[in-house]
Amino acid sequence: MKRFSAAAILAIIVLVSAYPGECAFKLPSPEKVALKNGLTLFYFKNVDYPLISFRMLVRGAGSAFEPGEFEGMAALTAELLQKGTAKTDAAAIAEAVDFMGARFDISAGSENASIMAESLSEHFPRLMEIAADCLMNSLFKEDEFAKERSKRIDNIKAIKDNPGSAVRPYFTKAYFGAHPMGHLASGTESSLKKMTASGVKDFYKKYYRPERAIAAVVGNIEKAKLIEVLEATLGRWNVPGPAAPLPVPPNFPKPKGKKLVLIDKPDATQAYWILGAPGYPLGDKITPQADVMNTLIGGRFTSWLSTELRIKRGLTYGASSYFQTWSIDGLFAASSYTKNDKIGEMLDITFDLLKKARREGFAAEEVESSRNYLQGQFPQRLESNGSKAGAYAMLAFFNLGFDYYDRYLAKVQAASRAEAKAAAVKLLPETDFVLVVVGKAAEIRKQLEKYGTWTEKKITDPDF
Amino acid sequence: MQKKLLIALVALLACSTFLAAAFRKEDIKVYKLDNGLKILILEDHNIPQVALYTYFRVGSRNERPGLTGVSHFIEHMMFNGTKKIGPGDFDRKMEFSGGANNAFTGEDMTGYTDWFPPAALEPMMEMEADRIQGLLFEPQVFESERGVIASERRMGVENNNDSILSENVRATAIMAHPYHWDVIGWMSDILNWKRDDVMAYYRTFYSPNNAVLIIVGDFESAKALDLIKKYFAGIPSGPPPPAVTTVEPPQMGPKQVLIRKEAQTPSFDMVFHAPNCQSPDFYPLSILDMVLLNGESSRLYRRLVREEQLALNVFGGIGETIDPLLFEIYVKPRPGVDLNRLEAVIEEELDKIKKEGITEKEYQKAQNMIRSDFYFGLQTNAGKAGRLGRAEVLYGSFEKLFAQMDNYAAVKREQIQEAAKKYLTENNKTVGKLIPEGGVQ
Repeated sequence: MKRFSAAAILAIIVLVSAYPGECAFKLPSPEKVALKNGLTLFYFKNVDYPLISFRMLVRGAGSAFEPGEFEGMAALTAELLQKGTAKTDAAAIAEAVDFMGARFDISAGSENASIMAESLSEHFPRLMEIAADCLMNSLFKEDEFAKERSKRIDNIKAIKDNPGSAVRPYFTKAYFGAHPMGHLASGTESSLKKMTASGVKDFYKKYYRPERAIAAVVGNIEKAKLIEVLEATLGRWNVPGPAAPLPVPPNFPKPKGKKLVLIDKPDATQAYWILGAPGYPLGDKITPQADVMNTLIGGRFTSWLSTELRIKRGLTYGASSYFQTWSIDGLFAASSYTKNDKIGEMLDITFDLLKKARREGFAAEEVESSRNYLQGQFPQRLESNGSKAGAYAMLAFFNLGFDYYDRYLAKVQAASRAEAKAAAVKLLPETDFVLVVVGKAAEIRKQLEKYGTWTEKKITDPDF
Repeated sequence: MQKKLLIALVALLACSTFLAAAFRKEDIKVYKLDNGLKILILEDHNIPQVALYTYFRVGSRNERPGLTGVSHFIEHMMFNGTKKIGPGDFDRKMEFSGGANNAFTGEDMTGYTDWFPPAALEPMMEMEADRIQGLLFEPQVFESERGVIASERRMGVENNNDSILSENVRATAIMAHPYHWDVIGWMSDILNWKRDDVMAYYRTFYSPNNAVLIIVGDFESAKALDLIKKYFAGIPSGPPPPAVTTVEPPQMGPKQVLIRKEAQTPSFDMVFHAPNCQSPDFYPLSILDMVLLNGESSRLYRRLVREEQLALNVFGGIGETIDPLLFEIYVKPRPGVDLNRLEAVIEEELDKIKKEGITEKEYQKAQNMIRSDFYFGLQTNAGKAGRLGRAEVLYGSFEKLFAQMDNYAAVKREQIQEAAKKYLTENNKTVGKLIPEGGVQ
């Protein structure tokens, strides 16, 4: 492969937009449908293929709302929702979904749970029956809980065997500490050991509620038929009495000075790092200018990081940066990896590039290129039924409006050199940041000393 | 630095509408230039974007010891400078015009995949045509890119125990055919490729007669064809590349690989020699891989992950390749699991298939999965272009893609049992185990 599908691309998929010109690509407006139980649904018909995609977000059922000591509980709850109901056991659910060649998954993000279901049109009613049964009638049985928990504990060891996958959870914990937005979906060895099946069931009861759900359907189905299918399935999901309002998470931690963490993995032949600093909240007005700026820093193949670390010096296969956003705040992160004896050189170059962007900004031609790139790459991000449904649910969930991408696009198109530089000055770290490195300490420790005092951990220590 | 190609992004934009996007054999326009370049064109105005894919019939299959990994290296060098376009300018110009690209190398083919706004069609064609024979391999750029590949290998193989094991298992199972090594190549070859050898390899395999161009998306077919002729017709064809004549001899007894290495979790891999993708046996074995490994209801997932809790996950299936490759059962075992016990359980499950075959329900399930995957893959320009290209290179013609569903539907249930008996045998098997040492168990 020429390169990773960088995390940067994923970040862009969620919240980036646009295409210029009079007949620009637009996300078609969906129709709003309310089910009798208050569940909100957005619908768009596409008859091109015999396929239907369903997406749903449930506010509050994400990891930010789980108790801190039970980190990973929201993700475990989402998994156990697919592992047996009063009518159908786990094996039968898997069998039914696979038999249709369907795709079905319930997962937990930070602020919400996410339900994905898609299939050939002919199987859609049955698929929604299964999805609704899972959401409404799951049993959270002891044996399924025990299986899933022990699998998750073991999986943490598998994550730690691969430094490229281990660096991310270590970074998240170093940056967020105990803050709820830093809860790991994987959980930790300690948090998983403390959980119980009844605790998971309580989490489900408290946070899975139809009036907090927003759904979207895109595909080959008539509206009347869709309503009939959904009223007979998710429409029977009753509001379980009054809910306590969701707590507003505390402000994000802001690094003061440098927080440096080194994870020793003695068999690593490359050192992997993530550098993080404060970003901005989802939908913030700086988003278009920040994206124009980040595209140039680390958001695409010819970005500064990729050019200096990969293309010119051959230090790494991949280097990138991205913004990650939540409703209340966000984060800037840059990451790469290189062989053990080059880590110091690589970090020096990275800091120099960030400094250069803050001091000098970008050439007019670079900014123009970034604008074109963001706009030109936009249409394919909403090409499939599933990506459209995902966008409808996300835009509605965060109350951004279905014209969000149009407005975003216009601002990208108008972004100036001065705005790109201002975004760099505001968002690229200089003195206050978190830096986490996973690698062979014996070979990299000396190179890292000049950056300050490092907290060291062994990769075999429990938790992150 | 080259002068920037003139790209009027906004002005040339054609209005796109949501038209029904058909995908039928008859909608694909097929041409062959005099120099041998085959062209597949499919208009699709669903979104204002074009997917331009160039697939070359070259991969690790065409390599030799000392030059392992070189197909992949050339894939990287394709972005690193020609007489007309300086190192890195392909990407810079493309991104300036709103485009993005990626590229991949496999055992049998190397693909260049571009996605860009319709206005960039002409400059993209010009740049794609230019690099078919124009690469310079400047020594300094050559060395820098060597470092990138070494980093890719460290990331993909050396710091990933599962990959270390699977590379060892492949090299043990396959002893003669070039599928013996992974596409990335051996580290010592990566560090020692000579410029002259790499250039000779490039000249051998990069010619219009060894390529297929697939273009799907928002353009007018006649105009696209004119542009293709304008930029590609002048490229001289080359002599046909040498055929790969090595045939893997039959395996005559079970083989085993043991790796002991610092780790917290073990790894496990079991492979059998399998037929190539043009063999009639390919289809029953593909159905078998769905029944054994695809989804949480598959036999091995159910038994190993759910019931006996020996594993975190299972993957694998039959390789889709020009020459016979492997049918792979890859298991991520849980820490502390007895790998011999794990192997015995897999053997038990394979024996059941060999004795009793698969159920009618499993057969139907596999057929449904195949049909569903086919349609899901067609939702995007990229999905269509990729499938057409694969069919053309691996199956000999894009038209075979449209017969795939019928080929699967024509498999009788009993044939799956027959295929299991024929291929999943003790003498045809190689098993690999990575046993953790040092790390906390």
